[in-house]
Amino acid sequence: MKWLKRIAILLAVLIFVPLIVLLAMGHRANAGRGDAAIEINTSPEHLWTWIDDGDKLKQWVSWLVEVKYPDPQKTHGAGAKRVLVMRDENNGGMLMSIAGTCSEYAPPTRMTIHLSDTEGMFDGDETYQLVDLGSGRTRMEIHGRFHYSQWFANLMEPLITPQAEKKMAMDVAHLKTLVESQAAVR
Amino acid sequence: MKPPAVARLLLIAMAGEHQAEFVAGDLHEEFLLLCAARGRQAGSRWYRSQVLRSVAMLLALRFRSGEALHLMAAAILAVAMPLLLLDRLWRFVYSNIPLKDGLQRAPEFRIVNLVCVCACAAVCGSLAHTVHRAVGVAVACAVAATFALWLGSSITPILYAGAVILAAPVSSLITFAWRKSR
Repeated sequence: MKWLKRIAILLAVLIFVPLIVLLAMGHRANAGRGDAAIEINTSPEHLWTWIDDGDKLKQWVSWLVEVKYPDPQKTHGAGAKRVLVMRDENNGGMLMSIAGTCSEYAPPTRMTIHLSDTEGMFDGDETYQLVDLGSGRTRMEIHGRFHYSQWFANLMEPLITPQAEKKMAMDVAHLKTLVESQAAVR
Repeated sequence: MKPPAVARLLLIAMAGEHQAEFVAGDLHEEFLLLCAARGRQAGSRWYRSQVLRSVAMLLALRFRSGEALHLMAAAILAVAMPLLLLDRLWRFVYSNIPLKDGLQRAPEFRIVNLVCVCACAAVCGSLAHTVHRAVGVAVACAVAATFALWLGSSITPILYAGAVILAAPVSSLITFAWRKSR
């Protein structure tokens, strides 16, 4: 009986302590916020095309399969809409659509896109900021802030955000390699 | 004179609770006779070969008696299920990354898996009452962990898989030994 009690306590600790920690962490000030930054040997004007052009976006954002423009007349600028089709390997390789609306467009320095899952799981803003460092160098910063509508996803936010940030960092590192290798070829 | 330890452990792990004592006793007697006649090395070689030859038969007997099935069911519930549930949870976490991600898992998630496997296997080990049962539980935990890793959807590095498969039986045996010592 004593051992059964100990086992029950152990199992309760294994379940409830992480739950309480997740609940507490979900209330931190920067909940849902992920940032990434990198310095790339290229001009802001050149780098801008890599974030503005759908075909180029596909090359450095991993798991991005297609970028669709619902309104072919308005593919760039504030108010322009794009749909990012992502392959979700963690969901059996299903294709997921994420609707994006450009809410801020100031080439070649700043672009903010409001992203929302078509299934209503999350929504948030992703801001790309390009800072000219001179001598053909640009600092690229990505700031993302997302809110999860489903309660369980919201509870898991303290686990999701750091992984999203890691993914963002990997993508910008890939972008740097792509941009700089293309510059070297030229 | 003692027979080779690994072979004896394998025999205890594979044979049912009722068979283990008799089979081990018979083999030990023969082993002593062989050691006296042809030396220890030949005796150990013979012992090992006999154990290896008997493994399949002993396991079949154990399954027929229902003991192995009982152990496996307990290990699957206690070790494989939590691992699979965690795998499902990590899939959910990665699936909710706004711009999605692949099947690689962060080291911290793998550590959580490992801790959970150790805790669950320890619970299994603490419920065993005899050495024979504890060894059986340990083997069942290792098999259940392997099964869960095989069924899991994430990319599993060899080092991590080895750690999980080893940690489950070790944790179960340590808890059994600790409980016995108290």
